[in-house]
Amino acid sequence: MGLRWKGKGAEVRAQADPMSKIVSQLKLSLIESNAHGVLSGCSVLLAVEAVQSDLLNRACFGRPVVTAEKDKQWFQLSMEEAFYLCYILKCLSIHGGDDHRKTDEELWEHMTDKKSTFPEFFKAYAHLRMKNWVVRSGSQYGVDYVAYRHHPSLVHSEYAVLVSTQEHSGENGRLRVWSDVHCMVRLCGSVAKALLVLYISKCGHGDASPSCVTLYSVEERVVGRWSPKDCREDHSIAVNGH
Amino acid sequence: MEGEDWDDLSSESDLLEQDLKDEDEYNYASNSSSKLQFRKVTSVARWNSEVGMAEVVQTKGQLWTTTGIVRSGKLYCSIEETLFLMEIGALHLVSENDQSVSLETMYQQLAEEKDGCCWELYEVYRHLKLLGYIVGRHDIPWSLKSVKRNTGTVSSEGTSESQEVHSPHDCNSIIERLTKMDLNELKLVFDVYLPNGKFRKSSPGDPSYVLCLIRGQPPSKIEVEALERQCGGLPLKFCLVESGRVSFFSFSKVELPILP
Repeated sequence: MGLRWKGKGAEVRAQADPMSKIVSQLKLSLIESNAHGVLSGCSVLLAVEAVQSDLLNRACFGRPVVTAEKDKQWFQLSMEEAFYLCYILKCLSIHGGDDHRKTDEELWEHMTDKKSTFPEFFKAYAHLRMKNWVVRSGSQYGVDYVAYRHHPSLVHSEYAVLVSTQEHSGENGRLRVWSDVHCMVRLCGSVAKALLVLYISKCGHGDASPSCVTLYSVEERVVGRWSPKDCREDHSIAVNGH
Repeated sequence: MEGEDWDDLSSESDLLEQDLKDEDEYNYASNSSSKLQFRKVTSVARWNSEVGMAEVVQTKGQLWTTTGIVRSGKLYCSIEETLFLMEIGALHLVSENDQSVSLETMYQQLAEEKDGCCWELYEVYRHLKLLGYIVGRHDIPWSLKSVKRNTGTVSSEGTSESQEVHSPHDCNSIIERLTKMDLNELKLVFDVYLPNGKFRKSSPGDPSYVLCLIRGQPPSKIEVEALERQCGGLPLKFCLVESGRVSFFSFSKVELPILP
């Protein structure tokens, strides 16, 4: 488990090109071009030109939509990604089907309506993104997100992330039964990831408006299995103890 | 494990290997499951139903350096310690009127859950003991004669001895803390020390782990936090016993770094 770079030179390449820099380049570029996306169901569609397409790929936002159009590249953003670009980075405006720009509040209402756990999920997503981790969907691994230290082409994801909304009757409903804990720990172990649970607490603030999200608290815990058979010697004790 | 693409979910062969390993424990031939070496030396203890422990009357072998609590110069072992030693053939147990007590009687005694232990807890204890860990009940001192040992003279030992509890009632008060434990409550049960040949009851040091037996559902964040506070910084492990299989889980607080 833990950090595994993909091949030689990957770590050097990542260090030379920090994710924070890539994201701020993307931000500037989107602001300059006055980018706007179209809200469609649970996605936001965005058409960009080559330079921005490259930045979106490098920063790992959205997934490209293959079309016959040659001069622009379409991207499909998840609700979390779109709202992060719009509300946190303030570099994307989002329009409805009627081509009117949606306010942050309107977007928030739409997204929480589509997904009741959106406030907690968005908090979790933004929490990791703001620490410059790359966050992608975790559905391949049966979790909510996976977190990468840098671009997935350079490094394997280190964490399989579950969002715990336990405090409010637990709409996400994960890790409620031991079979689920066994299953997740086993699966994460076999793909060399640690199971990270983000406990989101609304701290008494509701989810009436997006500004509530900044008041939520996040606690990070790694859930793992301890094998007494393999841990009989502790080196820290061997060093300190007599 | 090194050098393989573990992100690739199609590496079924690794999972298969794990499955085969897991199923290794199923043995078709009878009696082949036992890898235990039974002891040739047998200590003797007398069960004291009043305190819910056995008083050791004859000690043999090295195991007593890591088993039993010392009170008023006497050595007492809990029901899990008693049972474990009986199972491995290291202890002969007698009743208050010196009748030999069978393992069956003690299994029944354990089933009553009156002595601060239950079958699942016993399974956890045995699991760790068989791996060489040193296990004591949480927060029950191994010995009251402790800490102030560095002066080391006979007289100072004599003083600390005199500070110890002497009457059986004092002993009872310690036991009471064990027996009144509600086994369904989520609480800390065992202090676990790594295998250590130099372990001393008079200076055991901090345990490596504190264990909480858990049933029903996985712990909530609030439960984990409350138990962590009780542990005072020592690593907390949750033990789960399902059909004779003991698993340990940790829910450790971490802080992901802010990346460049």
